Amino acid sequence: MNGAAAARDEVVRIEGLGKVFPNGVRALDAVDLSVRRGEFLVVIGLSGSGKSTLLRCINRLIDPSEGRIWLFGEEMTALQGAELRAMRTRVGMIFQQFNLVKRHSVLANVLSGALGRASLLPSLLLRFPEADRQVALAALERVGLGGRDASRADALSGGQQQRVAIARALLQEPELILADEPVASLDPALRHSVMRHIEALNREEGMTVICTLHDVDLIRRYATRLVALRDGKVVHEGDPEKFDGETFKAIYGEEAEPTPGLVG
Amino acid sequence: MADGAGRGERGMRRVKGWLIDWVLVTLFLLMVDFLWLAFSGRRGPTGLLLSPEEILDLLHYLPLLAVSAALAGLWQAAAGILGESPGWALTRPLDEAPSPVLWTSTLRGWFVALLIELTVFTGWLVTEVQLVTFLTQFNKAADIVRGLVNPSSAVLHQGLILLVQTIFLAFMATAFAIPVAFVLSFFAARNLTRGSALARSLYNLVRAAMNFTRAVEPLVWALIFISWVGIGPFAGVLALWVHSVAALVKLYSEQIESIDHGPVEAIMATGASTLQVMRYGVVPQVIPPFLSFTIYRWDINVRMSTIIGFVGGGGIGYILKPRVDLGLWGEVGTLVLLIAATVWCMDILSAKIRERIV
Ligand SMILES: Nc1ncnc2c1ncn2[C@@H]1O[C@H](COP(=O)(O)OP(=O)(O)O)[C@@H](O)[C@H]1O
Ligand SMILES: [Mg+2]
Repeated sequence: MNGAAAARDEVVRIEGLGKVFPNGVRALDAVDLSVRRGEFLVVIGLSGSGKSTLLRCINRLIDPSEGRIWLFGEEMTALQGAELRAMRTRVGMIFQQFNLVKRHSVLANVLSGALGRASLLPSLLLRFPEADRQVALAALERVGLGGRDASRADALSGGQQQRVAIARALLQEPELILADEPVASLDPALRHSVMRHIEALNREEGMTVICTLHDVDLIRRYATRLVALRDGKVVHEGDPEKFDGETFKAIYGEEAEPTPGLVG
Repeated sequence: MADGAGRGERGMRRVKGWLIDWVLVTLFLLMVDFLWLAFSGRRGPTGLLLSPEEILDLLHYLPLLAVSAALAGLWQAAAGILGESPGWALTRPLDEAPSPVLWTSTLRGWFVALLIELTVFTGWLVTEVQLVTFLTQFNKAADIVRGLVNPSSAVLHQGLILLVQTIFLAFMATAFAIPVAFVLSFFAARNLTRGSALARSLYNLVRAAMNFTRAVEPLVWALIFISWVGIGPFAGVLALWVHSVAALVKLYSEQIESIDHGPVEAIMATGASTLQVMRYGVVPQVIPPFLSFTIYRWDINVRMSTIIGFVGGGGIGYILKPRVDLGLWGEVGTLVLLIAATVWCMDILSAKIRERIV
């Protein structure tokens, strides 16, 4: 009974995950990881340690070389075609560079989050059902961008663009959010304004979040659990409250110093 | 491991360098051979001095290939004494600084300088440059100039009508080329065709077909289509269309290859299908450059459509060619002025449009 309940609670399960790129670089090595519903898991590690690769393996933007991944109890690594795409609609993704369609309107960008359930022909003509439009406008309202729906995406500031990207993910009504350095391209003063929206999705909507971050204060403030990668391996797993100089050196190596604010 | 790779790369560089040297030394020796034969005063079977074509026929190709292969090898082997060979210098890795020596103090420098001079001399003879004739016989061409300044009105009416045909010819070729090139360019973009073995072979197929199509000039395509659909503007449309498709696929697909991959990833992550990913992740990024390339191609097609008639492909060139042959210079003048005015107007028009959209 208990085991079944735990399994239902497990959003992501990763076993023996490995990735070797065609150029021979090994980015992930025997990664095991389990993420429960409602967690705000932060992944840290030096640049090049494999954080982005790990996140992209989870929604199969990158195909792993070894190991298996389960999402919501289904084996993600076994899915193909339409089944794979259906599973992706349940996982929202947020990127360091926002990755909006620059020449499209803010509203069109948000609506692209509904592509997975849209009918093909209208969507190719940038047409969406009125219901989706209403949801999109509400999502924009929610991230504080009500009234900006007609602007071109690249007319917005970085922080605003990232909030559009969050609204786009919202339109998927995802159960899991993957955020790859969501605030690394933003002015430090704006980081909380974006992180708070991701936190709200986690706290209020019960969405599970896996997020890569660099700032110690952001990690302490938002993470419920911490995982550290080094050379593609998990080298530390623990409580962000206890994230101190000792663990820092264990993760980043002896030469590294925790500068105030920044890690890596 | 790294050492082995380093040795392998050095070996590759030796082979490539030697091949380049071989070609260069062969060219050098062949041109020396050519000039030797040209100035030796030898006479051909007709008793006249050898013509350039006859000399090209007489060159000692095989012996010189063998000699230069040995010389190239020698240069590589004795690089310590002779200095770097041209092939070795050309295969230098980009991150390695060239030696800071003046060209006049290296054998390579003198070799290249002599090679260039030999090429100019040989080229002078092969293309039968006749400077004296060029400078003294202008009066024969004065008729044409006279025709240009005294255009005859006899052909104006017909010329204007065919001018309309010419512009439509260019337009139809460009318009038909856009959708075909648009679709094909997605298959000719390497970054979109890595997914499956089928996609990769489609990529190679489209690339090869387009490279061939582009390598054949529109005038040759016109000859092919004339035998297919007969003399007339439609053959010209098809010729320019085929060539435009190939040229646009190259330009379009290079643009697709240089897109920012971020939006593609983001749209894929929403669970969108391949067509949706193309529509949202790729198309918005390439539309402005595509428009610019298309206008550029339209310019080329306007120019080509004025002469495609020389071989029977319709348009104003069709009535220009016989008038040149008959020496009706007044009428030729009219037609040339019409062509120049059209090309000039279209150039201005497309420059204005390009300013607006890019
Ligand atoms: N597409 C790729 N091809 C080859 N190597 C890659 C590719 N993507 C990432 N890598 C390499 O994999 C390693 C991990 O990269 P990444 O996951 O981006 O690290 P992080 O996000 O932690 O900075 C790095 O060494 C990187 O150079
Ligand atoms: Mg990264």
